[in-house]
Amino acid sequence: MSIDWATLGLQALNVLILVWLLARFFWRPVADMIEQRRAAAQALLADAGAKDEAAKAALAEITQTRAGFAQEREALLVQAQAQAAAARTALLAAAAQEAEALRREARAAMQTEQAAAAQAWRARAGRLAVDIAARLAARLRGEAVQAAFLEFLLHEIQALPPAARQVAALEVASATEISAAAQSDITARISAALGATPRITFIIEPALIAGLELRGPHLRISNSWRADLDRIEQDLTHDG
Amino acid sequence: MISPLSNPPLFHLGPLPVTQPVVATWGIMLLLAGGGAMLTRRLQLIPGRTQAALELIVDTVDSQIRGTMRVEPGPYRAFIGTLFVFIFVANWSSLLPGVEPPTAHLETDAALAFLVFLAVIWFGVRAGGVRGYLASFAFPSPTMIPLNFIETLTRTFSLLVRLFGNVMSGVFVIGIVLSLAGLLIPIPLMALDLLTGAVQAYIFAVLAMVFIAGAVAEAKPETPSTKASP
Repeated sequence: MSIDWATLGLQALNVLILVWLLARFFWRPVADMIEQRRAAAQALLADAGAKDEAAKAALAEITQTRAGFAQEREALLVQAQAQAAAARTALLAAAAQEAEALRREARAAMQTEQAAAAQAWRARAGRLAVDIAARLAARLRGEAVQAAFLEFLLHEIQALPPAARQVAALEVASATEISAAAQSDITARISAALGATPRITFIIEPALIAGLELRGPHLRISNSWRADLDRIEQDLTHDG
Repeated sequence: MISPLSNPPLFHLGPLPVTQPVVATWGIMLLLAGGGAMLTRRLQLIPGRTQAALELIVDTVDSQIRGTMRVEPGPYRAFIGTLFVFIFVANWSSLLPGVEPPTAHLETDAALAFLVFLAVIWFGVRAGGVRGYLASFAFPSPTMIPLNFIETLTRTFSLLVRLFGNVMSGVFVIGIVLSLAGLLIPIPLMALDLLTGAVQAYIFAVLAMVFIAGAVAEAKPETPSTKASP
C-alpha cells in the first residue's frame, strides 16, 4: 500500500474548488435568502409593533373621545331637562292663563246670559204688569177720569213756551167717543190754555185706554193711560 | 491479482496521473456545484418546497455549527457544510453500479484530513493572529507544547484513518459477500454501509468543527478556552 501524492494533491485541490463553488452557488445565496427573510420578518414585526402602538394610541384617543361624548351627553341631558322643565312651566302658566281667560269668558257669558234673561224676564214682567194695569185702567173709563186727563192736558199746555202754543190746527185723540158738548167744552178750554183759537178735530183711538192726547205739526202732548203705561213699561224694561 | 487498495491511473493530464477517485470526485463536484447553481437560481422570499429543503439543509448546518462551535456560522458554513455534503455524497456514491466511493481511497481521505489540518491553522491564525495561534499550543502550560503539537498531527491522522477504515471496509465487505453469496445477499450490508457513510460524514464534519473551534477559542486572548478533544 502506497500513497499516490498526485491524487492526494488533486483531491485536495478538488475539495477546495468544491468548497469555493458551493460557497459561491449554494451556501451563500441560500444563507442570504434566509437572512433576507429574517430581516423582512423583523421589519414586519417592527411594523406590526408600530401599528399595534398606533392602534393602542388610537384606541386611547377613541376612549377619551367617548368619555368626552359621555360628558357632553350628560350636559345635553341636563340642559334638555332644564329646557323641558322651563317649557313645562311655561306651558302650565299659559294653560292656567288660558283656563282663567276661559273661566272669565264663561263667567262673563253667563253673566251676560243671566242679564239678558233677567232683562227678558223684566220686559216680560213689565209687559205683563202693563197688561194688568191696562186691564185695570180700562175699567176706570168715565167722566171723572176724562176730566182728570183734561186737567192734566191743560196743565201741560200751560207749561209749553208761548211760541209752541201758536198752532193753526190740532188733533185731539181720545179712547172713547166724546160727545159734542164735551168736545165744545174741551175745545174752549184748550183754546183758552193756548191763548189762541186753532182748528181742533177729534179722533178716536181705543188703544189709548183712557185720556186725551194733543197732536199738532210741531206739538205732541201724550196724556193717556197708554202713554203712561208705555213710560212705565219703558222704565221697567230699562231698569237695572 | 490486483489489490483493491491499488489506484491505477485512468489517464494522464500532462505529468499528472488521473485516477478513478479523482474522476469520481469530479463527477460529484459537477453534480453538487451544478445542482446547487441550478437550484439556487430563483430563490424567493416565500420559498417553495425545493427552496425550503435547501434552506433546511443550510439551517441545519448553521445550527450544528452554533451548537458545536458556539460561534456565528457565517465564516465556517461553506467549509464545514461542503465537507459534510461531499463526504456524504461520496460515501453514498457506492449505490451507483461501477462507482467506487472516492472516500474508500486513502488519498481522498488524506486530502480531506489535510484540508481540516490547514483549516484549523487558518481559522486559528485569523482569530488570534500567528502569535495567538502559536500561543495556543502552550495551553494550559508550556510543558504541553510537544504534546499539543503531536495531538494536532495525530488527530488529523485519526480523521484520515477513521473515514478511510469505515468506508473502505464497507466496500470490501460488500465486494467479498457479493462474490461469495450472490446478487441479493449484500443488500442489508449495503444499507448498513449507507448508514455508516452518513454517520461518518457527520462525524468527520463534527470533528472538524471541534478542532477549528478549539483553535479559534484558544487563539483568542480574551476568550476563556476549552480544550477540544477528538
